[in-house]
Amino acid sequence: MINLSKLKKLSYLSKLSKFNYLYKLSNSDSSTKQRQVKLCHVVLVITSAMIISGCNSSSSNETSKETEQPQAAYTFVSLLGGEATAIDASDSGHGFSTPMPNLTAEELDKHLTGDTHFETAFTTAPNNEHPDLDGLGPVFNNQDCNSCHQRDGRPSTITLAEGESRVLLGSNAGIFLRMSIDDGECLVPSVENNYCKNVGVDGFGTQLFHRGVLKARDDWQENPFIGQANVYLSYEYSTVTYADGNTVTLKKPMFTIEKPYDVAPENSLNSAILQANVRYSPRNGMPIFGLGLLELISEADILALADENDTNNDGISGRPNWVFDPVKANNNDPIPVSLGRFGWKASTPSVRVQSLAALRGDMGITNPLFPEESVVNTPLHESYLARTGFVDTGTDEQGNTEATQQFSDEVVFYAETLAVPARRNINDESVIAGAQLFTQVNCTGCHQPDFITSTGELLVGGLAAPEVLKGQHIYPFTDMLLHDLGEGLADNRRDFTANGQEWKTRPLWGIGLTKTVNPAAGFLHDGRAADVEEAILWHGGEAEQSKNAYMALAEAERQSLIDFVMSL
Amino acid sequence: MIFKKSLLAAAISALVLTACGGSSSDSETPVVEETSFSFEATEMITNLTNDVIVAGYQNLNDGATDFLLATQNLVNTPTEENLALAQQAWKEVRVPWEQGESHIFGPVDALSIDPHLDTWPLNTSDLEALLASQASFSADELKTFNDDVQGFHTMEFLLFGDGVEDNEKSIDEMTTLESEYLSAAAEVFKTYTQSLLDAWIVANDPNDANSPAYKDLLLTTNNDIYASQLGVVEELINGMIGIVDEVGNGKIAEPFGSNIDNIDTSKVESQYSWNSLADFTDNIRGVQNVYRGEFSGQADKAGIIDFVNAADADLATRVDTEITDAIAAIEAIAGDNDLPFRQAINDADARVRIQAAIDALSTLQTSFENDVLTKLQDWQQ
Repeated sequence: MINLSKLKKLSYLSKLSKFNYLYKLSNSDSSTKQRQVKLCHVVLVITSAMIISGCNSSSSNETSKETEQPQAAYTFVSLLGGEATAIDASDSGHGFSTPMPNLTAEELDKHLTGDTHFETAFTTAPNNEHPDLDGLGPVFNNQDCNSCHQRDGRPSTITLAEGESRVLLGSNAGIFLRMSIDDGECLVPSVENNYCKNVGVDGFGTQLFHRGVLKARDDWQENPFIGQANVYLSYEYSTVTYADGNTVTLKKPMFTIEKPYDVAPENSLNSAILQANVRYSPRNGMPIFGLGLLELISEADILALADENDTNNDGISGRPNWVFDPVKANNNDPIPVSLGRFGWKASTPSVRVQSLAALRGDMGITNPLFPEESVVNTPLHESYLARTGFVDTGTDEQGNTEATQQFSDEVVFYAETLAVPARRNINDESVIAGAQLFTQVNCTGCHQPDFITSTGELLVGGLAAPEVLKGQHIYPFTDMLLHDLGEGLADNRRDFTANGQEWKTRPLWGIGLTKTVNPAAGFLHDGRAADVEEAILWHGGEAEQSKNAYMALAEAERQSLIDFVMSL
Repeated sequence: MIFKKSLLAAAISALVLTACGGSSSDSETPVVEETSFSFEATEMITNLTNDVIVAGYQNLNDGATDFLLATQNLVNTPTEENLALAQQAWKEVRVPWEQGESHIFGPVDALSIDPHLDTWPLNTSDLEALLASQASFSADELKTFNDDVQGFHTMEFLLFGDGVEDNEKSIDEMTTLESEYLSAAAEVFKTYTQSLLDAWIVANDPNDANSPAYKDLLLTTNNDIYASQLGVVEELINGMIGIVDEVGNGKIAEPFGSNIDNIDTSKVESQYSWNSLADFTDNIRGVQNVYRGEFSGQADKAGIIDFVNAADADLATRVDTEITDAIAAIEAIAGDNDLPFRQAINDADARVRIQAAIDALSTLQTSFENDVLTKLQDWQQ
């Protein structure tokens, strides 16, 4: 648990001056960048060995052929978050966990308090010794934010022991299932279609809470600590073969649901969540740094990249998700709909909605934006309240929620203001070559390299935006849009206006530190990819062409492209 | 690979800087600060990995074995003496765990060992309900329970009582079911300490025998975890900063409050055993282990102090003294009357000593953040 520290503030201020010095030397603003590109003589050196250190290439004795071509503008950019890039942490497991260095002292204070909240483990109510920390569940997926966002990154992918065919999702799991009733597509949110909100499963809702407090269920004495149902994970394996004969084994998580609470064990197939019209989507935790910057990319800049009908015929469309916005609804906005920005399918409009929905949903901690338990009015909740004396209703006699407004604001601010790690190995020859290949195979068709965040009087999540987020030249490598990634990755469940094959382009900044932060982390929405190569190979649909182009590269070139991605 | 890195080091002039320095004009070339220094880190990283981190986890696992045995003896022969021995074994296994909090990274996180072993606070509501409703407990069953009804603090509560009036529990106050739960929890605990050790020395993914031992990822960098030795050293320094911050600004400052009318005993770490001052001291001893490169009383080996010394000899000594001072200041909190932390926060004289400990930790944290961590930018690998 990292705590509020006056000294940290002082050291931060001293870091700030150092940072300004470094920043001036860096090339993350466009004018300096152009200068640097000139400095590099716009020469791309492709050597047969691909491993010899760069920069003095003209004096190298290696046999090489030189091809003059313009270098991608992002090739030597180090500070991916602009002034909000981390210092002295970008090579280690602390890379996702440092405050933006350009926060004011007061903001840093708030950020560090939010940090403690992020690691707060909630317990069953009533906890007389720690009333401020109770209210967990009664059904939930995990007990604290950090368990699904380990060290502010991705959670561990669950692996199976030899001879084990499946594993029960428990406290180790940073993954859960969303679910809803299949009702076709929903393209234009309106009051008539309930703003394209997903329709929950009767008695369950839109998220399967596989864990519980001790007495969450009627049958708690036989099934202690179980939530709405048990969920088991297993894997289906397949092999991909490159033209050169190299192979990669891919794994795909499969889920089975047992012991649903709504029916007797002998009738489990009658459960509402085991019916044919229920759609599931696994959701893994994701890194939480740099999010405030993404929220301040102007809507116009994102929509300018959309090409819903593929008018340029490049095989890539890209369209926004339009989602219900509870902040707007609370403010009585007549059209409580916003551009979706966060989550695997861009189904939440702001860090605030994403974070506080997770607090209420994933952990069962009610808060002023989401004052009712997710499972309110379900038979499980009614029976739990009756059995435990109505002490854990989600609100007290005064109407206060389990998390206060202040707690909510602080934890949201924390997630808005974590610094983006800087790049590594930017001068490595293979990384430089990979940066060009990244454009060549059109990864940039969706992984849009850069944006400049908005300036002026702005709101994030309904509150005034911190100045530190504004006007930054950032390199997140995402267009913030939805793309059809094919059947292999499809969850076949719509989410607001996103269909069952669409996913939001993931930001790639910091991705190379994923396993430094958590060596057991996996990639993609269900953690199925063990590394970047596997993640690329899962791309299909609109990304099929780019994947094929990647697969057609020589082995050394494929490695270069991965080296570039790992340098981010 | 070393050759490649040295080539790179020669070619690039500053850590964060863009490429092709060799081809740029003098006016464009960033100035190399004269504070740059060389240090060959392999011996230090090898020593800290094997003889501090792994050795510490070995000690933890050995302590867990002794503790499990003590709880089994207590179940089989529930005497006052065996209860006292189990209490003592709990305090002893707590030592390597708390010292290891100076390097919370890798498998301890990835395998969720930290929450399994040390979730705080305890879920007294569920624990008491379990004890009131079940007739027996097994380790296999307990392993499926939530983290907040197992691990150190659950076992502490069962061994020492609620800690409100005292930290003594007589054998008459311990039910058979409580001792059974305690022993099952100790058995689960031992499986986790073994997993942690194995992840470092055998395979970091316990389900994949071909995955590298985590220690090898530190010893041979240029892998998916650590691109270079810079990352390892950065990890170790930031790890020390993390625990110094947590002890000074969290574990001590939060229960201490802004004044004597604003204390919060519910936030005291080991509030049932009254072992908190030992916890805090061991946390900072863990920092000392990493900084010096050896456990207290062992022969001198390479540690972060040697890295700092290569950059600034005075700083290396100053930080070593500040660590020693911080440990002494925490130990001094107990005073002549041996006050536990839980009582000390409510004692005017002791509060002066607590403030002194907070100040000593603050001084140390500032040095680490402003003077030691920043040396990474001057290091020419």
